[in-house]
Amino acid sequence: MSGKNEDLISCSVNGKTISVPKNTSAIKAFKIAEQDIAHYCYHPGLSVAGCCRLCMIEIEGNPRTQIACNTMVTEGMKINNQSKQIKEDVQWGLDFHLLNHPLDCPICDQAGECGLQDQYMKFGQYKPDMNQKKVKKAKVVSLGEKIVLDSERCILCSRCVRFTDEVSKTHELGIFNRGDKSEVGTFNGKELNNDYALNTVDICPVGALTSKDFRFKQRVWYLKKAEAICTGCSTGCSIYLDYNEEGFFRVRPKPNEDNNSYWMCDEGRDLYQHLNKEKRLVKVYPSKKVSTSNFAVSSSSSSSSSSSSSSSKKAIKYLKSELENIKDSTKIGVLVTGQYSVEDYKEFFSVLKEKNSINQIYHWFDQKNSKNDFDDLLIRGDKNPNTKGLLEVAKDMSLKVIDSSELKNTASNLEILIVLGPEYKKFFSTIDEKLEYFKQALQVFYFSSVKLDSLDSISNVTQIPLQSLVERGGTYINYKGLKQKLSILPQVIPKILSFSQIAKVLNGEKIQLEPLFLKTQPVKDNQFSFQKN
Amino acid sequence: MEVKILTQHYDKPEYKSLDGYKKYDGYNQLKKALTLKPDEITEMVKQAGLRGRGGAGFPAGVKWSFLPKNNKTRYLICNADEGEPGTFKDREMMDKAPHQLIEGMIISAFAIGSPKSYIYIRGEYFESKKIVEQAIKEAYENNLLGDNILKSGFSHHMDIYSGAGAYICGEETGLISSLEGKKGQPKLKPPFPAVEGYLANPTIVNNVETLASVTVIIRDGVDGYRKHGTEKSPGTKLFSVSGNVVKPGNYEVPLGYPLKDIIFNLCGGLKEGRKLKAVIPGGSSAPVLNAEEAMSVNMDYEDLASKGSMLGSGAIIVIDDSNSMVELLKVLMNFYHHESCGQCTPCREGTGWLLKLSNSILSGSANLNDVALLEKVASHMKGKTICALSDAAAFPVLSFVSKFKEEFTSYATSNVALKFQATNVQSYKRG
Amino acid sequence: MFTISEKTKKFITKEVSRYETKRSAIIPCLFELQKDNQGWISNDCIESLSQFMDIPSKDINEVFHFYTMFNKKSVGDFHIQVCCNISCHMNGGLDLFKVLSDEFKIEKNGVSKDSLAISKVECLGSCGTAPMMQVNEKYYENLTKDKAIQVIKDLIASKKTN
Repeated sequence: MSGKNEDLISCSVNGKTISVPKNTSAIKAFKIAEQDIAHYCYHPGLSVAGCCRLCMIEIEGNPRTQIACNTMVTEGMKINNQSKQIKEDVQWGLDFHLLNHPLDCPICDQAGECGLQDQYMKFGQYKPDMNQKKVKKAKVVSLGEKIVLDSERCILCSRCVRFTDEVSKTHELGIFNRGDKSEVGTFNGKELNNDYALNTVDICPVGALTSKDFRFKQRVWYLKKAEAICTGCSTGCSIYLDYNEEGFFRVRPKPNEDNNSYWMCDEGRDLYQHLNKEKRLVKVYPSKKVSTSNFAVSSSSSSSSSSSSSSSKKAIKYLKSELENIKDSTKIGVLVTGQYSVEDYKEFFSVLKEKNSINQIYHWFDQKNSKNDFDDLLIRGDKNPNTKGLLEVAKDMSLKVIDSSELKNTASNLEILIVLGPEYKKFFSTIDEKLEYFKQALQVFYFSSVKLDSLDSISNVTQIPLQSLVERGGTYINYKGLKQKLSILPQVIPKILSFSQIAKVLNGEKIQLEPLFLKTQPVKDNQFSFQKN
Repeated sequence: MEVKILTQHYDKPEYKSLDGYKKYDGYNQLKKALTLKPDEITEMVKQAGLRGRGGAGFPAGVKWSFLPKNNKTRYLICNADEGEPGTFKDREMMDKAPHQLIEGMIISAFAIGSPKSYIYIRGEYFESKKIVEQAIKEAYENNLLGDNILKSGFSHHMDIYSGAGAYICGEETGLISSLEGKKGQPKLKPPFPAVEGYLANPTIVNNVETLASVTVIIRDGVDGYRKHGTEKSPGTKLFSVSGNVVKPGNYEVPLGYPLKDIIFNLCGGLKEGRKLKAVIPGGSSAPVLNAEEAMSVNMDYEDLASKGSMLGSGAIIVIDDSNSMVELLKVLMNFYHHESCGQCTPCREGTGWLLKLSNSILSGSANLNDVALLEKVASHMKGKTICALSDAAAFPVLSFVSKFKEEFTSYATSNVALKFQATNVQSYKRG
Repeated sequence: MFTISEKTKKFITKEVSRYETKRSAIIPCLFELQKDNQGWISNDCIESLSQFMDIPSKDINEVFHFYTMFNKKSVGDFHIQVCCNISCHMNGGLDLFKVLSDEFKIEKNGVSKDSLAISKVECLGSCGTAPMMQVNEKYYENLTKDKAIQVIKDLIASKKTN
């Protein structure tokens, strides 16, 4: 290719000259030129419907106004949406959208992120002439476990229908009847429960489709959003995490053309629950031996004097001293899942390798038979976000990777078994089997951010809390080798040791007890937010 | 005087059958056409200036020439989804001369190189469907359809498809959606059907009368065809006349024929004691003409356009002074509201808005602002949507209100002088 | 549960192969099922057709709800459709509708004791012969009030004698 000129064409958007790739639609050109353009039905991940009629533009030399979503930019094209005529068209277009809309914003959970509100604020005419009775349609229709439909709020942009036809290919949704009686729905009470159903909630520009899990939990203007990646499988979709000082509330896909396009699966949306207090391992649960040792860790950490970080430190110091007593490194087992970051593995393994001459690890991987499964959209059989990363780190550090089923033969010889436990329990089908191995080893040190209740009854296990994956951050390598960086987010649970702090303690270094990224505030009464149960 | 070119033999019952049709020169034009080059036929249709008879009036030959040069299968579709209020000519053409249509279709298919055609017929026309089905059967039995037609080497298959009750399927891309087994919602243009139509194949959609006229062009040649009509609107046209005339019906006259002669000569004028109030000259979607305009207009594309209206489907709805224009507008708004496919927001919502406003004006609960709003809403529905239904709803509003302003004003200001409602309850015309 | 008859299954199979895409068979098949199901389409009909044709039920439901000739409830033995669009309106279409509705008392379920349903409909393409009505598949044109009543009475009588 001789370069730029062959692939790019130039055009002018509202007087601003820009270069765009060939086969770019005019609406994309507006986005590239950072010019405002109203629209509802257009979505870059779906086919063009051209039905909201809001992205009106004038093309120099064409007497008729056109819609930008169905116009392809050609070399030298001059397009604009700044004329009085177009502005008036858009104002009226918005009024047509609102004509039969119930305007029940105060009780609508979309408020604050509603396309109708946002675009009216920007483009509306603020003197509506609507004085007729509105068409009544169905409200609060349950579409299954995940989604609620309010068809009065629906503006019939057909995004959700196109999603179920074109992306999930599950064909649940349709628009029935015609004219202003048209209504989105499923046939005969069928449910909208496919693996990707909640994407329809994301792309619904209004409050017609809302998520049962999220609705009425928080008003969105009290939430901040952070970029992250989903760790629910080896695809590693880019996501947004919505959170505030009360915790994490929602996971949404972040557009990423290189990986997940505009979508994510519904399973991945549970991620936030594993980050919140309710599911977390928040304190040390010492084994009998640890609680009676020199480094005695109290199991009744509810007392305010005992902080999680100090008891973790004690437990890890104990682990360090115990490890030093073992001369034969084959008596030390390290059991890891593919759910940790490259940095986590490196830090942890290098200490163990240097100090304790560890030269092998046990890999806990429970999708041996389904690891190559793929649903042709996003969901992959390997339910670990970083299997590739784990194997790469092990290879670089010359650590032998042994399948965890081998513990069947070796567990009883182990004096210490260190576990980096699963963060998503449901993807680890052999938990019960592993618990049996734990019992066979002399001592088990189980690190995890998530509480695994069945461990409590096993007396030789010490559970040590970890920061959650978004508190730790780090690099994850997905199924196709795409390296994705997860940035570090505020801590939900204060005073839990970071991975590098743990490594330092194991290495005999001194650490400061206050964690580095304590940004959260204590939960305070917020008159606008609902109590979480 | 009528000039019966297409309808010459419509009075003969046997014309419906293949034998009867053949008796009057039937299928001789097909034989002739098959000896010509396809492009020659397209050129003839272009030169003859045949314009689409369904409503839009687009030159048929030009439409054909938009077909891309590729290897995709080309489809020909006959639009027999006659639904424009006031129009009933295609029904008569199919009932009385199905072979005339079929012959025109085979010739057209040959011209555009199409191996397959459909006649999309409106669902309510059960009778016409049976007649056309029978005619297709006869044509197949006589090698006029099927493989190697009349040993010419040209093969063509024809099928019939029944609509199921939706005005919008008369719009060519709505029709294609319907034929594809979907809701009859019009498709975005571009791409135009000639490039990507039925199942994304190049597709030509023409009206019944348009296709039947192709036979006449082959028979009479370009000059013969152009003998009738005007320079820019050549040929004859069937006009469906309805409303308040003594003799409603279909009349074939050359384009450019004076409207007043159609009403007062051919149709026997109005009922005793009535005065002409208004005429909708091209189906309910065409802007209305007041009496003065109606008396001076000639029925061709250009003269109607100069009066701010259009020829449309050639449906002439004659309105006498017993009618309330406010009430008739409400009737029309009811129709467009009922028929909006619901796809584009301005039409979906706007048609309902127009109906509600017309209703409140008619019931006397509206004020002058509402009359102004009616016009404002309509003006913002024009040219904003995928198809022309939105425009079709807006045109009557804008023309009714502007041409009969005092009437609308009187409904909106006085306590509704309900004289119109009283006089409008008429005895049945042929009672 | 509605089950598709063997005869109709044959019809569907034929229609499916008749057109370039099987979806095109939805409309003809709905017409056929409507005949089999006393003149209207139930959710069961759609579900059965969806399974038999292997087309998502919502696609069939979209088509079903879009076209006015598919009935959502029973229309009795005689579905009387009176055109009330502009040309018929000017010639008394609405009045005819009212007269017929009064004459043949329609019950709450939309059907009279004689199994009639009466609907006001949009243009049927019979404007030059207004007012008119369609009864099932047949047009009755150039009507007067008395003529229309007589036509319907005759139809009811012919049903009884059959």
